[in-house]
Amino acid sequence: MLPKYNVLTEEQVLIIHNESIKILEEIGMDFEYEPALKVFRDQGLKVEGNRVHFTREFIEGKVKLAPAEFTLHARNPEHNLVCGGENIIYMPGYGAPFIQLADGTRRKSTMQDYENIVKLAGASKNLHMTGGTVAEPQDIPDEIRHLKMIYSSIKNSDKCFMGSAEGRERAQDSIEMAALLFGGKDVIKEKPVLISLINSLTPLKFDERMLGALMAYAEAGQAVVVASLVMAGSTGPAALVGTLALQNAEVLAGIALAQSINPGTPVVYGSTSALSDMRTGSLSIGSPETALFISASAQIARFYGVPSRSGGGLNDSKIVDAQAGYESMMTLMAASVTGINFVLHTAGILQYFMAISYEKFMMDDEMAGMLLHYLKGFNFDEDGLAYDAIAKVGPGGHFLTQKHTRKNHKKEFRTPQLSDRAAFDAWSKEKLDTNQRAHKQWQEVLANYVPPALDENIDKKLLEFIAQRS
Amino acid sequence: MNELFSELKQAIIDGDEDIVEELSQKVIDESINPVDAVQEGLIKGIEVVGELWKAGEVFLPDVMMSAEAMKVGLGLLEPEIAKLGMSEGESKGKIVLGTVEGDIHDIGKNITGAMFTAAGYKVFDIGTDIKAEDFVLKAQEVGADIIGASALLTTTMSAQKQIIDYLIEHNLKDQFKVFIGGGPTSQAYADEIGADGWAESADEAVALADRMLAK
Repeated sequence: MLPKYNVLTEEQVLIIHNESIKILEEIGMDFEYEPALKVFRDQGLKVEGNRVHFTREFIEGKVKLAPAEFTLHARNPEHNLVCGGENIIYMPGYGAPFIQLADGTRRKSTMQDYENIVKLAGASKNLHMTGGTVAEPQDIPDEIRHLKMIYSSIKNSDKCFMGSAEGRERAQDSIEMAALLFGGKDVIKEKPVLISLINSLTPLKFDERMLGALMAYAEAGQAVVVASLVMAGSTGPAALVGTLALQNAEVLAGIALAQSINPGTPVVYGSTSALSDMRTGSLSIGSPETALFISASAQIARFYGVPSRSGGGLNDSKIVDAQAGYESMMTLMAASVTGINFVLHTAGILQYFMAISYEKFMMDDEMAGMLLHYLKGFNFDEDGLAYDAIAKVGPGGHFLTQKHTRKNHKKEFRTPQLSDRAAFDAWSKEKLDTNQRAHKQWQEVLANYVPPALDENIDKKLLEFIAQRS
Repeated sequence: MNELFSELKQAIIDGDEDIVEELSQKVIDESINPVDAVQEGLIKGIEVVGELWKAGEVFLPDVMMSAEAMKVGLGLLEPEIAKLGMSEGESKGKIVLGTVEGDIHDIGKNITGAMFTAAGYKVFDIGTDIKAEDFVLKAQEVGADIIGASALLTTTMSAQKQIIDYLIEHNLKDQFKVFIGGGPTSQAYADEIGADGWAESADEAVALADRMLAK
């Protein structure tokens, strides 16, 4: 494993921490949810209206209660994931309302898209879990969307998946369904199976929807990503350090709430901070500034001793083109080499989170594979040094007929899944670009995918639950 | 007096609401014609900003601060104009802007408001989490041409339709143009719910309004 690199000095991390504490103490944050305010009041904090004024002791004490790493349990234990430490978890994009098609057109995403993406993530060698809200199924009524999505995640893959963050009630539905799958709420309280995305409302607010979900998950012992998306220049200052301090204040407050409800709740420090483009005001995520936010967030989370979430194949491109590729590689690589643990939005994202593309998904899956290989670093054993092979060939000659080559290249080299390494003439026969190759590839993967069987009894119970809640 | 107007104009260009406030107060204190102050000062200033924006010479914060300063100046001078029984002159159009019920995201709406202001429209921003009925009541109160409704969530887009349904129900549909916008919306969605206009960016929304109101 390659060592993770830092972009801040220890002193700089401390400065950001202290700025965040100052924000939380002197400005405070608004929590638009009475049960959350009650928790803070009971903890002895000053609460005026919705405004909570924190103290350094409270924040630092609560953050210490969060575990440095935790195991997220999957239907198939082979897919259990350790979140934290040196581990990296890749998964699909989250929450996009549109599907960008290979021919350049865009349409609303549907339940069929959700199912397809869960299957593609299930089939992937490089994506560790199937994620959540992988496409926003706009053909399903809002009230039952979460039920259909959770069911699809359970049915179509045996990897870990995410719960709904759309308020307390839908979080509770997610927990009930997970309990049916894993054998009861007591079981999952000991062994977390769900992780959910709780976002602040920058600057310095949490809304009722997110707080309700956070509290439900914390009570049930399930993991939460507490994330902040500061748009530097619009919902945050046009300053990188100030943006980090603001983001950090929000995330610390959310983590402190989770730890106040249930000490030891597995939490992930989340950042999706990026820029507001100063011409259009729109979110811009495929930028070097975003890569700096990602890198700093990994390091700040390490400082607090909690797992981190950031990055992904982030870009502002409209289609699967060179911009989509180079921006995504910058942000996915920044996340991977600086030690982000939980990489939401690894695959599929286009148009600053507004669209998912199947072709982009395959391209990102390839990039994830490339980065996993890169992260393995170097092999320093006898095969890695390869002195005997070098001696055997000597000056001149070649290594292609060496036993060492035949055996070792399979360990040390990665074979591309999507990239074309053919000679020009061979490529010229079909002249397929990445978008076209990816278009063929995802359809093949989908056609060949067989979802792992789900116990019939459990399946029945899940369907009954959905019928009863619909 | 001319100098005061050109100072007002410059303060709008600079986006300096403190100076705009000071100068507007001076207009009132010295009984200078407030309509001229608006026409020759504030509006001339915002026109320059609008042109600079189109030419790509200024950025969003410049436009938004100028629009804010404009709001401060109008806030002082309009009551004075009304008190004197004078007419402010015609604006390009009036737009009531808000984020729909259940949704509290407002950056996109604020940018749109600033762009409409910079383009010479009169903007009535009624905030976030606004009920369909309240959009319409405000539009009736101010005699708006356009109702602009923003939504960022797939779960709150349906509230944009509610505004249109409300208008139809109350036989008001032909009195206002309804514009919708926000991340998950699209031209197809606008067509589906019967909105008069949709735009992906604030710039395009202004261009669309220009075309539609010119008809």
